[in-house]
Amino acid sequence: MRRFIAKLLFVAIIATLPLSSVRAQKQTAPETLIRNATVLTVTRGTLQNTDVLLRNGKIAAVGKNLNASANTRIIDGTGKYVMPGIIDCHSHSMLDTINEGTLSVTSMVRTADVLNTTDVDLYRELAGGVTTLNLLHGSANPIGGLNTVVKIKYGRAANEFLFPGAMPGIKFALGENVKRSSTPNQPGVTRRYPNTRMGVEETIRDAFTRARDYKRTWDEYRAASKNDKSLIPPRRDLQLEPLVEILEGKRYVHAHSYIASEILMLINVADEFGFKIKTFQHALEGYKVAKEIAAHGAGASIFADSWAYKIEAYDAIPYNAAIMTRAGVVVSMNSDSDERARRLNIEAAKAMHWGDLTEEQALKLITLNPAIQLGIQERVGSIEVGKDADIAIWNGHPFSVYSRVDTTFIDGDVYFDRAQDLARRPELAKERAALEQAEPNRPRPKGESPQTPRRRPSGHEDDDIEVEKP
Amino acid sequence: MKTLLLLILCTGSVLAQQIGNPTTQQGVIPARGTFAIRNARIVTVSGPDIENGTVVIRDGKIQAVGANVSVPAGAQTIDGNGLSVYPGMIDAGTNMGLVEVPQGANGTVDTSEVGDLNPNAKAIIAVNPHSAHIGVTRVEGITNTLTAPTGGLISGQAALINLLGTSPKEMAVVPQLALVINYPRVAGGGGGFGGFQQQPANLSDTLAANERQLEQIRKILRDAEAYGRAQDAYAKDKSLPRPDHSVVLEPLVPYVRGEQPVIFRADREAEIRGAVKFAEEMKLKPIILGGNDAAKVASLLKEKNVPVILTGILSLPVREDDAYDALYENAAKLQEAGVRFCISTGDAGAEVRNLAQFAGMAAAFGLPKADALKAVTLYPAQIMNVADRLGSIEVGKMANLVVTDGDLLEIRSHIRYLFIDGRPVVLTSRHTELNDAFKNRK
Amino acid sequence: MPKIRLCLLVAFALFFINSNANAQRSAIDTYAITNARIVTVSGPVIERGTVVVRNGLIAAAGANVSAPPDARVIDGTGLTVYPGLIDSYTNLALPEAAPSPSPGGAPPRPAAPGPNSTQPPGLQPEVMVEDVIRPGGNEIEASRNTGITTALTSARTGIWMGQSALINLTGDTPQQMIVRSPIAMHVSFTPLRTGGYPGSLLGVFAALRQMMRDAQRYRDSMQIYERAPRGMRRPDTDRSLAALVPVIEGRMPVVMLANSEREISRALDLAEEFKLRLVIAGGREADRVADRLAKQKVPVLLSLNLPKRTTAAIPEADPEPLRVLRERVEAQQTAGKLAKAGVRFAFQSGSLTNMSDLLANASRTIENGLSQTDALRAFTIWPAEILGVQNQLGSIEAGKIANLTVVRGDLFDRNGRVTHVFIDGRPFEIKPPQESKQ
Repeated sequence: MRRFIAKLLFVAIIATLPLSSVRAQKQTAPETLIRNATVLTVTRGTLQNTDVLLRNGKIAAVGKNLNASANTRIIDGTGKYVMPGIIDCHSHSMLDTINEGTLSVTSMVRTADVLNTTDVDLYRELAGGVTTLNLLHGSANPIGGLNTVVKIKYGRAANEFLFPGAMPGIKFALGENVKRSSTPNQPGVTRRYPNTRMGVEETIRDAFTRARDYKRTWDEYRAASKNDKSLIPPRRDLQLEPLVEILEGKRYVHAHSYIASEILMLINVADEFGFKIKTFQHALEGYKVAKEIAAHGAGASIFADSWAYKIEAYDAIPYNAAIMTRAGVVVSMNSDSDERARRLNIEAAKAMHWGDLTEEQALKLITLNPAIQLGIQERVGSIEVGKDADIAIWNGHPFSVYSRVDTTFIDGDVYFDRAQDLARRPELAKERAALEQAEPNRPRPKGESPQTPRRRPSGHEDDDIEVEKP
Repeated sequence: MKTLLLLILCTGSVLAQQIGNPTTQQGVIPARGTFAIRNARIVTVSGPDIENGTVVIRDGKIQAVGANVSVPAGAQTIDGNGLSVYPGMIDAGTNMGLVEVPQGANGTVDTSEVGDLNPNAKAIIAVNPHSAHIGVTRVEGITNTLTAPTGGLISGQAALINLLGTSPKEMAVVPQLALVINYPRVAGGGGGFGGFQQQPANLSDTLAANERQLEQIRKILRDAEAYGRAQDAYAKDKSLPRPDHSVVLEPLVPYVRGEQPVIFRADREAEIRGAVKFAEEMKLKPIILGGNDAAKVASLLKEKNVPVILTGILSLPVREDDAYDALYENAAKLQEAGVRFCISTGDAGAEVRNLAQFAGMAAAFGLPKADALKAVTLYPAQIMNVADRLGSIEVGKMANLVVTDGDLLEIRSHIRYLFIDGRPVVLTSRHTELNDAFKNRK
Repeated sequence: MPKIRLCLLVAFALFFINSNANAQRSAIDTYAITNARIVTVSGPVIERGTVVVRNGLIAAAGANVSAPPDARVIDGTGLTVYPGLIDSYTNLALPEAAPSPSPGGAPPRPAAPGPNSTQPPGLQPEVMVEDVIRPGGNEIEASRNTGITTALTSARTGIWMGQSALINLTGDTPQQMIVRSPIAMHVSFTPLRTGGYPGSLLGVFAALRQMMRDAQRYRDSMQIYERAPRGMRRPDTDRSLAALVPVIEGRMPVVMLANSEREISRALDLAEEFKLRLVIAGGREADRVADRLAKQKVPVLLSLNLPKRTTAAIPEADPEPLRVLRERVEAQQTAGKLAKAGVRFAFQSGSLTNMSDLLANASRTIENGLSQTDALRAFTIWPAEILGVQNQLGSIEAGKIANLTVVRGDLFDRNGRVTHVFIDGRPFEIKPPQESKQ
C-alpha cells in the first residue's frame, strides 16, 4: 500500500512538471508589438527605428510609433533586426524516411505520409530563424515522390504544419545519385534502370508518354460514360496522376540536377511535353546555362559554396547565385541539411561576398525567392502588411557572423525564444532527475549493455541515399 | 609605388587569358621582395590594433610594424586606406591537399592508408600542391593548414603547410609536426575512418574492442621507446649489437619522448578523458582534435594543460537533448575555463575556406570577438608550437598576411591582397576563372 | 415409452460418438465451482456463489445456484471466478517464424510458392491465419498459465498481413480452436525486406492506397460484368483484391499496428480516406489522439508490453533521451486516459517475452489512473465487443462459452495467483510457478 501511495505521489509530481518541449506551450498574445527595430522588409527596403505589429497571425502594421493596446505584448526592438522567416526550399527534416528507391518512378509516394513532428532538428532550425520548409523526397529516382510544404510549428500536430495553399510539388532527380542508387543490394539481382544519363532521360520520357496516354484514356472514358453507365472505368493509377497534374500545370517540378547537360536535357523534355520545371535543385553548374534556365522560366535552389564532394559538383562555384540572378533566374539558397539549415542567413550573405549581389538581392535568396518557388509568395517572404506573421528577431544584422536569433514567430505565435530556452534548461534538468527515478527508467543491475551511440555524419547530406534518419 | 598593383593586374590578366583550362596552377611561385602596406588598420592579434599604420615585408618576413614605420627604398607599396591587415588564418584540422573529390574519384583520395598502425605515413608526401582546393582556400585569407592523414589507429604524421608552393617541399612549414592517433571511438556509425572494422552495436563490446585497440597502440609506442634507446645506445657504443632500422618505429621516437605533440582525434567525453589519461600514461604531449564534449571535460583539460582543436562548432549537437547551442558555445566555455583551444573547420578541403564563419559563430555565442580572431590565428600557432613564426603580425614572423576591406571574420568583407611567405599571391582560383568564363555568357 | 427412451438414449449416444465436436470430450463435462466469489462483469459481483459448467457452456451462475449431482465440484473458497481473459492481439498458434535474413549474408532461400496470387508475399490480404494455425505448444501453455483463455491471433509479417482468427487456447485440432474466423484484416506499416517495392515507409502507404483503389474498381467491374457479361471482356479474377472488398466496404474491420502518435494519426487518416472500420493495435501513445479516436469511434487493442529500461548503467553511455524517459512513464497512463476520453479499448500482450508480466503491467495501469473495473472489462467484455463475439464470450452469463479464469485472491493483486482456467468448459489446473520471479 505504501508503495502504491508513493507511486501515486510520484505520478502527481510528474503531472505537474512543465510540459515537454515537444508539447510546447502556445505562446499567444493576441497582439505583439516589436518596437524601434531595424526592419528588413525585403520588398520595401530597410526601415530604421520602425515598429512591427503582429495581430491574429498576420503582420498588421509596419511603421513608426505604432499604438499598443492593453493586451499587447511589447518587445523592445532597439538594436535588433527584424526579417521575414527564412524559407528553406530543400529540406528532409521531419521525415521518417526519405527515399523509395526500389523503382525508377515513384510519383505515387507522398512525403506527407511519413511526417515526424517530433524531430528535434526542427527546433534547432527555428533557432536559426527558419519558419518554412519544402520537404522533398530524396534523389534516388528520376521521378521521385510528392513534396510537402510546412511551417515549422514545432509542438503541434502534423496537419497544423501543412502550409495552407502551397502549390503541390514533386521531386525529380538527375545524375549521379540516381545512377548510384541502382547499385544492387543482393548478388544475382539486376541493377535498377537507369545506369546512365541517357537512361535517366528515357525514364522521364517514358513516364510522361504513359501519363499523356493515361490522361487521354480517362478523358475518353469520362466523355463516353456520360451516355453509357455500364462501362468499366479505367484503372486509377496513383503513379501517373501526379504526372498528369504536371502536364496540366497543377503541380510544380523540383528537379535535383548538377551538370549543365542534364539541366538542358530536362528543359528540352519539359518543352517537348509542354510543361515547366519550377526549380532546378542544386543546379551547381546552373551558371553555365543561366540564360537557358531563365528563358524556360525555371528557378534555381542552390548551395552557396559547396563543391567538389562528388564529380558532378567539381565545377561548382560560389558565384553561381550572382551569375544566375543577373541572368534573370529566381535563385534561392537552400540547405539540404538539418545542420546547414540553421545558418541560411550566412549562406545568403555569401552571395554578397562572391558575386557582389546587393543586400536586398541576397535577402531575397532566403525569403521572397523561395516563396515564389513554392507558390506561397502571397503569404510569406517579405514584411508587408497582410502577410503571415512569420518573422524572426535577430540581435544583429542577419548577414553578420556575429548575429543570432532572439525570437522566431510563425503566424504570430512564438516558436523559439532564446531567453525562454535558457530559462527552461534547469526545469528540464529537474524533470530528467525525477524521471530517472521512476521505476520503468531505473537501470537494471544485471541488464544488457546499452547500444553504442550513433554518430551523425557531418557535412553534406545532399539527398544521400544511404543516410536514413536514425 | 603602384608597381605592385600593376604587377598583380598583369599577372591576373595573363592568367585570365589562359582560360580554357580553368584550374589555376602555378609552375613558378611569386618571388619574395620588399613590400609595404601603408595607411591601413593593422590587426596584430598579439597586441592592440594599430588604427593607421604600416607593415613592411622583406625576404619573406615581417620587417616592421607600426604607426610610424619608415618604408624602405625600392619597396613596392600598397595603399591600405580603408583596408585592414590581418595575419593569415590557420586551420589546424584538415586533410588539405590529400583529397580532390572524395566520392566517385577514389584515385584522388590519399587520406587513409591500409592497416591500423601507420606512423610512417607522412601527409606531406601526398599533399598535391596543385589541388584546386588550395587556390580556392587561400584567396579567402587562410594561409596555413595542418594537413593530417586519417584512418586506422595511428594514421600518420600531419604536416603544417603554407597554401603556396609548387612542390610539397616549398609548401612545408613543419613537414612532420604531429603524430595523429584516432582514439578508439565510443560512438559508431556515421562518417567512418576507413580502416576500422564494423563497430559492435553493444556498448560494452565496443569498449572492450577499444581497449584491445588501445593495447595495440600502447605496444607499438613501447616498442618505439625501446627502439629509440637501442639506437642511441649503439650510436654511443659500437660494440653493442647493431639494431636494424625500422621504418615504422623510427618516426615514433620523437613522439614517445615527448619532443613533439601527438594529436588525438576524440569527441566524446569518454574519448577525451581516455586520450588524456593515455597520453599521461605514455608520457606523450597530447593535443585533442575534435573536442565536441570538451566543455564537459574542461577542468581536466585545464589541469593537464591539454589544448583542443575544436572542429565541431558548426556540427549538430551530439545528443538529442543537448541544448541547441551546445557546440556553438563550446569555445566560449573553454575560454572561460582557461583551456587552450583553437577553432578549425575539421574539413577535408572543400569547406576550409569557411574557417572565418566557424570563428564568427563562436563569437555569436559568447566568445569575445578578439578571441575568436585569435582562435584562427595565434592560438593554432601556439598550439602547434610555431608561434615564433606565425599567428600574428610581429616583427620577425613569416609574412603571411591578408588585407581586407572589412572585418576578416565577416563574410561580407572582401580580400584585397594576400601574402604568403612574403610573396604576393594573385587572388585567382579555379572558381574565379570559371566565374570569368561564364558570367558574361549571353 | 421405454422403447422411445431407449431409442433416444441410443440416438444420443450415437450423436455423442459421431459428433466431431465431442470426439475428445471428457466423459464428465459438468463442473461446479462452489462457494466462490464470482465477478460476472455483466452484473454485480456475487460475493459467494456457484458457477456451473456443462457441455462447454456456462449453465448457471449465482448465489442461489447449487451444484448438480453429476458435477465435479471445485471448492471455490478463497477463489474468485472471472470470465476467461481475452488477449486481443497475439501471434499464437502460428508455425515457427522463418529466420530473418542477416544483412550482408547469403540471399534468403526463396520460399516455397504459395497459392496463386497477383501480389508478392506481404501484400496478400487473402491469406487467412486459420489455414496455418496449429494447436498446442509452449506459448499457448504460457498464455493459459497467465489466465488467458482466448486470443486473437494474426500473422507476424507483411504489409497486408492477412486475416486473423479468434481462438480458444485449447483443442486438439485447429477447427476446435477457432471461435470465429475471420475477425479482421491486419495491416502493418513495415516495408518489404525483399528489395522489391515497397521498400520504404513511403512506398507502404502508396501501395496500400493503390490496392484499395484497385479493389474498389475490381468490385465495380465485377458487378458490371456480372450484370451483363455479353459483349464485355471479362475482368481478370484477383483473389487479393477480392479479399479487400469487405474491407473497403466497412464490413470487415482493419487492425493497423500503430504505437506512436504519428503512426496512429496516419492510420486514422488512411481509414478516413477509405472509410475503413479501423482498430488500432499497440496504441502506446493513443491518449494523445484520444479525441480523434473517440470521434472516429476507433477502438484500441492496447499493448501491455509496457516499455521499460532493460540496460545496465555504464559511465560511458549517453544519458537516455528525455523522450524515452517520458514515454516509459506515460505509457502506464495511456489506459486510464483512454477510459476517461471514452475510447473503447482492450488489452493485448503485445509480444511480451515474459507472460507473467501481463497482469503485473495491468496493475501498473491501475496504479496510473485506470479503474479496476475498467481494467477487468478491458480483458473481458470490451475485447469481446470489439471483436464481435460479445454473445459468446466476455462475461459470466448462462449460455455463453464456459471460459473462466479462476484466481486465488484478486486478479490484479500482486499476491493473486491463477489457479484454474476453463476453456470451452474444459478445466486446466495452473501450477504455481517453480522458478523465482526475476
